[in-house]
Amino acid sequence: MVGLIVLGCIGVIIAWGIVTFNRLVSLRNEVQNSWKQIDVQLKRRHDLIPNLVSVIKGTMEFEQDTLEKVINARAKAVSAGNVQEKVTAENMLTQALGKLFAVMENYPQLRSNDNIMQLQEELTSTENRIGFARQLYNDLVAQYRIKQEVFPNNLFVAFFGGFKKEVYFEAEEEAKKAPQADISIRRNN
Amino acid sequence: MPLTFIDIERQKSWKIGLFFIILLLMYFTSAMVIMLVAFGDIFEKDFLRGVFSSFYIFITAAVLAFVHFYLLSYDAAQNIRENLDAADLDPEDELHKRLRNIMAEIHVATGSKRKMACAVIPGQAMNALAVDDFKGNALIVITEGLVSRLSREQTEAVIAHEAYHILSGDCRESTLAVSLFGFSMPFIEKIMIYGGRAYIFSFILFKLGYLLNLFISREREYRADAGAVRMTRNPLALAEVLHLLSKNWRGTGLIGSELEGLCIVNPRLNQLDETEGFFADLFSSHPPIHKRTEILLAMAHASITELDVKRRQGAREHMPKETEKKYYALDAQYVWQGPFSITELAALPWFSTLTWVSDGSETITKASQIPACSEIFKAQIEQAEGKTTDYLCPVCQQHLFKQHYEQTRVYQCKYCGGTLVDGDKLPRIIIRRENAWAEKIKAQARATLKENQQNYIIHSAEGKNKIISLRCPKCKGSMWRTFYSYAYLIEVDRCICGAMWFDKDELSMLQCMIENKMAGEESGAN
Repeated sequence: MVGLIVLGCIGVIIAWGIVTFNRLVSLRNEVQNSWKQIDVQLKRRHDLIPNLVSVIKGTMEFEQDTLEKVINARAKAVSAGNVQEKVTAENMLTQALGKLFAVMENYPQLRSNDNIMQLQEELTSTENRIGFARQLYNDLVAQYRIKQEVFPNNLFVAFFGGFKKEVYFEAEEEAKKAPQADISIRRNN
Repeated sequence: MPLTFIDIERQKSWKIGLFFIILLLMYFTSAMVIMLVAFGDIFEKDFLRGVFSSFYIFITAAVLAFVHFYLLSYDAAQNIRENLDAADLDPEDELHKRLRNIMAEIHVATGSKRKMACAVIPGQAMNALAVDDFKGNALIVITEGLVSRLSREQTEAVIAHEAYHILSGDCRESTLAVSLFGFSMPFIEKIMIYGGRAYIFSFILFKLGYLLNLFISREREYRADAGAVRMTRNPLALAEVLHLLSKNWRGTGLIGSELEGLCIVNPRLNQLDETEGFFADLFSSHPPIHKRTEILLAMAHASITELDVKRRQGAREHMPKETEKKYYALDAQYVWQGPFSITELAALPWFSTLTWVSDGSETITKASQIPACSEIFKAQIEQAEGKTTDYLCPVCQQHLFKQHYEQTRVYQCKYCGGTLVDGDKLPRIIIRRENAWAEKIKAQARATLKENQQNYIIHSAEGKNKIISLRCPKCKGSMWRTFYSYAYLIEVDRCICGAMWFDKDELSMLQCMIENKMAGEESGAN
């Protein structure tokens, strides 16, 4: 009788172990997948920027330095190597684009150009998608970490290993400040 | 204590799961009671065997009911699309393109788990529904009124709410519950006819089941609100949408009563939905809107008065700016015309770079000298280079230009100012309100209304008695001249292909009339 109970308990523990292991593995894969999904959206942004720059170059003759900053940041982001470089380059590109949009407010005639309005809509949508992809990544990392750190599971993880604590995607300090638009008029009349 | 959306979601999930199990148990119990009473003689012989037989009978009946409902709602997405006249998103419409981008954004935010389609009901009502059928198609249906009146963040909040319903299986669960209920109720009622106190017990149990169903439906709405906030991290936008919905037409009469459970706000204008109190809370499928708004505002640390202030400010931004600069222009007959704003100058057919323009002061210069005017010409050239279409203006036989008006595509003639509008685009233009109307248009609208009302006949052009029918630019058929409707007496030319031709200013006058609700006055002459 006692033997049956002991066997039953061991069975339950093994079952729990299998279930927990599978859940941790699934979460680990989902975290990796969502990290790659951010890349998909970033690439989309890289592809949209050359179009925008070429279309507005003619109208905004006096904003050469802003445009150049965007082009350089994009080149750096495309050619970035490891993860740290990528994150830095992409944040700089976000800042440069923010400045560009702020400056475009000074040119109301751009509003009547349908191409520019469409490209701006696409870029806004892409920025939103990048934001959502990062949000999803952070949410999944939080879930993964919670699953690792909760009471019975942390014993399991310490015993088995193979599950590491993932890192959150953090905004850099400069990115948290809103870009200041330079609205001084620079015309050489 | 304001709970965060994470807590709300978790709590409601527990509640919903628990009560759903209770609901299923209630159905089974009442069915068993019926079996016991109706087929009591089975039990007399051998009690255990009786229990098993009735169990088998009930399981068979439930499976049959489920299969029946499965087949009915197999293609529910397509059925609802047809019933509600929902159209696919128009690739040339700015707001529909924005909607498609928003669907893609929510798709990213939910981890791309399911592919969701979107359709739009052309109508002024403001509501949204989510449908998930057993074929695997997920569909979000929105009304044009909602699409046209919300900002980008607000539309995201609505789509996130509906997407959450689909992803959390709410639609399928409620279909299951409805199928069980729908099968059992008529059965019970038939048995009730034969009387018997025992049946009353199961009858009561079923009625309680119905109330429980409504309770679960309300909890689902709260959970979907919390889920939407988790997706967009913007509780204020959803609160603003709900606040706006509570003050506008939500499609009562447009959306059938069987679909009301799927909507974001109950389309049936029901006092129960708005009041508080025990009975009100008991019988409605949606929670009261102000309660939902309160929870969301608590998350956003804002208050309802702030929402109202914001709404009024937004409305004020649509007023015409009085400080716009006015110009006078000298026409071909050497008469000064004006005052015009820049946009009106651009619309003048005889305006060119050589026109003399004055801004009211003593200086009179050629239009090319004024920087604001040169912008107009630049824009005109850019427009001309891309956008001429093959369609010819029915009046002046010149090429029509593709234009964006109220964020959708129309064709305009640069010479006579007339506009060609497709049949499916016109309701959108009427619903959307982008500009405020200049006094000139309003006055013209009133004058036209009065004049047309005197006779109720179409005025012929240039004093000729015969009306020459125009040729439709799209299908080359004959257009016939008629009033837009007997309430709004603007002359339009209609074609059987659905296109409508408006002469100069008539489209603006029509919009102005409908938005300002200018109806005719009763006159004694008629």
